[in-house]
Amino acid sequence: MIEFSGVCYSYGESPALQDVSFSIEAGEAVCLLGPNGSGKSTLLRVLNGLIFPTAGKYSFEGREITPALMKKAAFAKQFHQRVGFVFQDSEAQLFCPTVYDEIAFGPRQMGLGEDEADKRTRDCLSLLGVEALRGRQPYHLSGGEKKKVAVAAVLALNPEVLVLDEPMNSLDPRTAMWLTQFLGQLEAAGKTLIISTHDLSLAAQLSKRAILFGENHAVEADGETAALVKYAALLKKVNLI
Amino acid sequence: MADIPQWLTEPEQYSPPKDRDRFLDRSIVSFVELLSRFRSQSALERDRLWVSPVSKLAAAALYIVLVSLSRQFSFVYVMLAYTAVLLALLPAGDLRRCLTGAALAAALAYLILLPSALAGSRYSITMIPAKTFICVALVNILSRTTRWDRLAGALRRFFFPDLFIFVIDITIKYILLLGEFALQMLYALRLRSVGRNKSKYGSLGGVAGSLFIKSRDMSEELYYAMECRGFTGEYRTSRVRLSWRDGIFWLLNAGIVLVYLLLS
Repeated sequence: MIEFSGVCYSYGESPALQDVSFSIEAGEAVCLLGPNGSGKSTLLRVLNGLIFPTAGKYSFEGREITPALMKKAAFAKQFHQRVGFVFQDSEAQLFCPTVYDEIAFGPRQMGLGEDEADKRTRDCLSLLGVEALRGRQPYHLSGGEKKKVAVAAVLALNPEVLVLDEPMNSLDPRTAMWLTQFLGQLEAAGKTLIISTHDLSLAAQLSKRAILFGENHAVEADGETAALVKYAALLKKVNLI
Repeated sequence: MADIPQWLTEPEQYSPPKDRDRFLDRSIVSFVELLSRFRSQSALERDRLWVSPVSKLAAAALYIVLVSLSRQFSFVYVMLAYTAVLLALLPAGDLRRCLTGAALAAALAYLILLPSALAGSRYSITMIPAKTFICVALVNILSRTTRWDRLAGALRRFFFPDLFIFVIDITIKYILLLGEFALQMLYALRLRSVGRNKSKYGSLGGVAGSLFIKSRDMSEELYYAMECRGFTGEYRTSRVRLSWRDGIFWLLNAGIVLVYLLLS
């Protein structure tokens, strides 16, 4: 479904991704592990078609994602519906006046009709356990509540792939555990999950497979999460512990 | 934990309707350009063109005053040649941006003065666009070769109040921080704009509103953090030191002043 082959990206003269290659099948859950500044967030931006490789190729279902292709509005919109992105900073993702409007934003845009949009919004509110917040302004919520609303707003689009950038950041342990279980539920429902994190204790619970990035912005290892998080020498080498 | 609803387990059969949303792409491009400008500024590990920011700032002001005061074509030509030499020392990307800005400003001055040329005043249509080109190019060169925080620091040498320098410093930092946040919000809006948005400007207004609240929160946090660290209104930046290179540079500047006096 998703294939990176020899992808490089740099901000000016500073490299952010170096020769990154891997593929992810539909329905798979994968953790991207790596220290701060190793290029995980850049990779997620490439994955979502926000920026494009300076070298190498990124393909989604066999089609190379290029600036020219993403300029085609119909393709870009369908692509963004299929690949949902939850930002690291949930605040940046919330711009509607109420939580309800925030979640209903996507379904309304898709032209689903007010009844269907309302059903989806209510389902998402209930799924994330935020029904009580429906009339609140997103900006005045707590960190955990904002994260839940951001996830709900993306889920309302029913994406096939859910990309989450450091989802456990700024969450209390209870909410982090709840979100871990919830993501497990989504994986069981057939969603493809790509989660960037540096929380090794949660990584093994989030996915069976992990891709480890080093400070050289390249893939250091790709394998079973449970085995990778126990490989102390490798984790030390990439400055993750 | 609630059960996953049926619709979320089935693939979406969706073909997006047509909609115009180029304004969003244009806004994103503008923000990316602005931020890359700021990032390339802070990435300058050392100031270019060898002399200290204090000397560069003072010299740029001196050149602009001399060029503005001069009524002699010959001095303006000397300064044009000098500016060309300075431009030639820049990397290709910076050279292009400096030249583009200066040429656009000169072209605008030319257009504004065109009626006076038609009325017979050839002096102003030749002189003023050339002066505009030199002044804008010199300011661009200063901006491209010196980190802005060091330029703000250099103002101390010219007895600017600490608070003024502090405000400039914080403004530069916050343009970058808020710009990055605004870019994230625009990306989020674009990612979720998967169909027809009947209220595009409403969504953009939401982004602006959130940005305003964010900036207010950030300024409050900064105020508290400063108070906790004992801020008393005195803002000290690292002192900009002068070197022997500055001495040579000021000899050159003395020569330029001499040329100005001789040609006047």
